[in-house]
Amino acid sequence: MARKKINLNLASVDNREMRLGSIISWDGSASELVEASKYEIRGQKKTEGGGCAGGRSTGCKLCELNMPFNQQTMCSHSIVGCQVGNIPDCILIEHSPIGCSAIHPRFNLGFRIGLMRRGKEAENIQIFSTNLLERDMVFGASDKLRQTIRDAWERFHPKAIFISMSCSTAIIGEDIESIAAEIEEEIGVTVIPLFCEGFRSKHWSTGFDISQHGVVRQIVNKNPKKQEDLINIVALWGTDYFTEMLKPLGLRVNYLIDMASYDELAQASEAAATATFCHTLGSYMATALEDEYGVPQVDAPQPYGFSGTDEWLRAIAKIMGKEDIVEDYIAREHTRVLPKVEELREKLKGIKGFVATGSSYAHGMISVIRELGIEVDGSIVFHHDPVYDSGTTNQNTLKHLVENYGEIDHFTVSKTQQFQFYGLLKRVNPDFIIIRHNGLAPLAAKIGIPAFAMGDEHFPVGYDGIVRVGEALIEILARKKFNQVLQRHVKLPYTDWWLSQKDPFILAKQPEILDDPVDMGEDKAAI
Amino acid sequence: MAKGLRQIAIYGKGGIGKSTTTQNLTAGLAEAGKKVMIVGCDPKADSTRLLLGGLAQKTVLDTLRTEGEDISLDQILKEGFHGIECVESGGPEPGVGCAGRGIITSIGLLESLGAYTEDLDYVFYDVLGDVVCGGFAMPIREGKAREIYIVASGEMMALYAANNIAKGIQRYAKQGEVRLGGIICNSRNVDREIELLKAFAKELGTQLIHFVPRNNIVQRAEIRRKTVIEYKSDADQADEYRNLARKIEENKLFVIPKPMTQERLEEILLEYGLMDLAGDYEI
Repeated sequence: MARKKINLNLASVDNREMRLGSIISWDGSASELVEASKYEIRGQKKTEGGGCAGGRSTGCKLCELNMPFNQQTMCSHSIVGCQVGNIPDCILIEHSPIGCSAIHPRFNLGFRIGLMRRGKEAENIQIFSTNLLERDMVFGASDKLRQTIRDAWERFHPKAIFISMSCSTAIIGEDIESIAAEIEEEIGVTVIPLFCEGFRSKHWSTGFDISQHGVVRQIVNKNPKKQEDLINIVALWGTDYFTEMLKPLGLRVNYLIDMASYDELAQASEAAATATFCHTLGSYMATALEDEYGVPQVDAPQPYGFSGTDEWLRAIAKIMGKEDIVEDYIAREHTRVLPKVEELREKLKGIKGFVATGSSYAHGMISVIRELGIEVDGSIVFHHDPVYDSGTTNQNTLKHLVENYGEIDHFTVSKTQQFQFYGLLKRVNPDFIIIRHNGLAPLAAKIGIPAFAMGDEHFPVGYDGIVRVGEALIEILARKKFNQVLQRHVKLPYTDWWLSQKDPFILAKQPEILDDPVDMGEDKAAI
Repeated sequence: MAKGLRQIAIYGKGGIGKSTTTQNLTAGLAEAGKKVMIVGCDPKADSTRLLLGGLAQKTVLDTLRTEGEDISLDQILKEGFHGIECVESGGPEPGVGCAGRGIITSIGLLESLGAYTEDLDYVFYDVLGDVVCGGFAMPIREGKAREIYIVASGEMMALYAANNIAKGIQRYAKQGEVRLGGIICNSRNVDREIELLKAFAKELGTQLIHFVPRNNIVQRAEIRRKTVIEYKSDADQADEYRNLARKIEENKLFVIPKPMTQERLEEILLEYGLMDLAGDYEI
């Protein structure tokens, strides 16, 4: 297969809409989205000439509802902060005005918790900002960047230094690549330029690819000595459940990128395979490691629910030569976990859930709650990749979900838009929601729906993940009364017109509505 | 800001003669007793050379870069011909930073240093070529320049640029008080140039405020680092600039321009025969 979409010769990364044809706004059933995505065709056509995966051909562009505005969003620059900013012995320098670093306190919390989850010593995040002011924008800020790199080096002696581009420095054309090369020679330590200005992509997930690109390009060991029992897991900051899942197969886990040390990142090319808890996150890195260093990626959906976990373990066993023991292991695990799951199914009978998380992670999450017998007739993903970088058919997670766990009638692609979230929830009236991103739980809470804010994204992984989620949901559902009381005392800041809208995408379909005079009503509410 | 102060920005295609026209016309205004300041908004910093008798001026941004923010007005503001106050905004080194933002910085600094004194009748902003990005539109934003004059000639690219500038003015006019005061023709001796410029101005909804004929005395004065008015006060060309100054002084026609489509612009050019003559006129 002639696919060479990842070019490690270049410091910059094509954004997801170019590479994969990713979209951020869509509404329909899950099976319609599977159909429209044409995963197999896109996967095969991933040749240098482009084609379905965002190239010149427009024949199979995935149609998108264009919303006239965004209420809130993250950006690639921010994602780079919570990826390479979370490498304990490296440093990130944000070449930007200080406002681009406003989320650092939140990231610091995540970093400390993440280190503790992985059994590492908690420490503060080490991200610098060049703190650009008006004069820096006018005269250029390259000297300030050079000085910041030298200061960071002198104070902390990191193993590598990352530089991230912001919107402002991209507009004035700061040449961070040349500066990185120049200072790398001067101080003798790897300096990695990351082109992650916020306007580079319409979705923040491009920031994951940019972070991984920098690591694979400049940190990963270029002359790897194979470690046959080592498996890369492209992850975020979740608890180390993967060791307990994979140890019975005789494997050691190497987490990438968050919380990993420089050396752990460097040995990524020495691993025997790469897997992930979420293809949206991990596919770029897994594919880059496969293309560049021949580290095979696990050709399976994700390890969620019985079916997903079974397939995932079998695919790993196939690569690692553990096929002789994997079936016994899977059978033992089913026997161990199934009684608990059945007990939970009984308790959760008649309950309806709603998932609002990142793209392919939601596919896994829905599998888990469907496994628990919970009804799901509506959910949101924050963007949708019609194909992943691998292009391999077995990674088609949405198709796997629909084929194994059935249809989801209202499957929505939308970027954490609270004003829209109300209508999406009202359409299906769930008993709870599962979220992982800021700003969504409060809205649900105000309309009487308890939210499971799942900070630890590894929580639902594997067979035990089904049990963990079921038990947690029983606790979450106990809060229903509280949320109902809250609902009686809280008013949402939207007009009756908007609250009574049946179509949450009316503004995409009829943007001219925005030009109409708005009846502000008695309480002067907006929208 | 001084009462009755008129802030005027001069735009036009690069090389059309904005700086030459601005300096000659302000020399005319100063001669008539008006108090004028010129702010050069071009990184090349050559907007005040004829008034100062050379490029002795240190730019605002150079001064800011070398001296820091603690600078005084007399470091960046020099008096030229007939007491005209001359400032050059300057810019970053080529290829780095943002020259457009530099103009915003410069004007902000001039204001905070008190350059806009009560006795001023006019401030002229001589702005780089076309409106290349938001920064170069600075003089017509935030209530700085309220009158715009576009320097043009009968050449297609000059009119193309003028039309683009009109688009910028139209945009900002909707939000503020900026208006187009007219087109100044700096003649290139193109056939039927005056008719063409009149038609073009009319289409934009404005006027051809003055037709400055081509005269080599302008170049002779320039090589001596002088305006025509200073170099040869009794020359016909000096009177042309005095006339332009008087017309601007007396101007009452300020409009929101109606920029035209590329197709309409080309129609006008064809109508006045310019297309047939391309390359056939002398400079």
